[in-house]
Amino acid sequence: MPNSSSDKKIAAQKRGNRLGFWFFETLLKFFGLRGAYALLYLVCLHYLLFDRKAVANALAYVKRRFPGAGFFKSRLEVYRLFISQGKQLIDRFAMISGKTKFDIQLKGYEQLKNLLEAKDKGFVLLTAHVGNWQIALTTLKKMAKPVYLVMRQEDNAAVKESLHIDTQDTLIRIISPEGYLGGVVEAMQVLKEGNIVSIMGDRKYGFPAVEIAFLKDKAYFPFGAFSIAASNNCPVVVLLSAKLGQNKYVVDVSNIIYPRYNSSKEKREQLKVYVQEFADILDKYAQTYPYQCFLFHDVWNPD
Amino acid sequence: MAENKEEQLKAIRKKLKELLVSHLSLEDVVPEKIKDDEILFGEGLGLDSLDAVEIVVLLQRNFGLEVKDMSQGRKIFYSVDTLANYIYDNQKK
Repeated sequence: MPNSSSDKKIAAQKRGNRLGFWFFETLLKFFGLRGAYALLYLVCLHYLLFDRKAVANALAYVKRRFPGAGFFKSRLEVYRLFISQGKQLIDRFAMISGKTKFDIQLKGYEQLKNLLEAKDKGFVLLTAHVGNWQIALTTLKKMAKPVYLVMRQEDNAAVKESLHIDTQDTLIRIISPEGYLGGVVEAMQVLKEGNIVSIMGDRKYGFPAVEIAFLKDKAYFPFGAFSIAASNNCPVVVLLSAKLGQNKYVVDVSNIIYPRYNSSKEKREQLKVYVQEFADILDKYAQTYPYQCFLFHDVWNPD
Repeated sequence: MAENKEEQLKAIRKKLKELLVSHLSLEDVVPEKIKDDEILFGEGLGLDSLDAVEIVVLLQRNFGLEVKDMSQGRKIFYSVDTLANYIYDNQKK
């Protein structure tokens, strides 16, 4: 959660516009997924050549996941990452439109069911910029509990309209991290009422972070999700998803972390072990699905 | 009545300062050094969101209070004084 009490607008670069989304939508309508995917190769090449910031952000991950890759090889990996993310955005689009059916496996739902049955206590759903978290959340509709996403309101109107992030489902609500104290007090309250709070665990967005190891290097992940869970005595369910084939995804909720304090001293240090546990899960994910880690941010930079 | 209220507020402020020092990661700060009107978050005492989580828990465990109206959050969490007033007003009910 933000260090400052001032409600600083969290900066985000806007990519995509209405015309672009219309174009993809039309291709999807007439040529299906493959047709829409085909255009991606050109669009992503444009980003690779002209969007230096996007490339630099992706390189932070690529350099660590593919150590030893030279100039051209690392750019090729960035290109593959861009295409992979583009495909997943199109999938999300196709899924919402209802014209394309997806086979989605749900891993670990039995454990989650036990948590859902505890009506008086909620839990933290910890996500990351990997796979297709929008599809993952949509799949979890069957939880039939309100999910409060701690996320910036999408300020790119074209993206917002195309992804239906906060309009599609009344069970999905937004807590803005740009609000007072990063929405932390609100998150505490909704958890206490037995709801689910979903937080991105791999980006600081100006919130306090701890140093952990990720992809064999020192990285900085926020610990807000774990402090909220430890204080509420509730678990953290890690929500991951991965694309397995053209119309196939897996949504994994089998990793559950139980952050607890042993004493009232050095709480930040105590949380570090849980943040590391989460980073290890992401590390394993990156080894298995190297082109589905869409961090696009230098999490190894302490600033 | 007014004197009684001020006495109670004074006691709440004292207890709050002691709780803040014992539960938050405040280095080299003693309760007596925290001013009643010192801004808690950002500038002033320099607390962050982890501390906000702790204060929410402190309010629940020590005073049986929850902050349900988030539009009041900024006003309530501003200083020891505003927190004490919130506790005084809501414990009475």
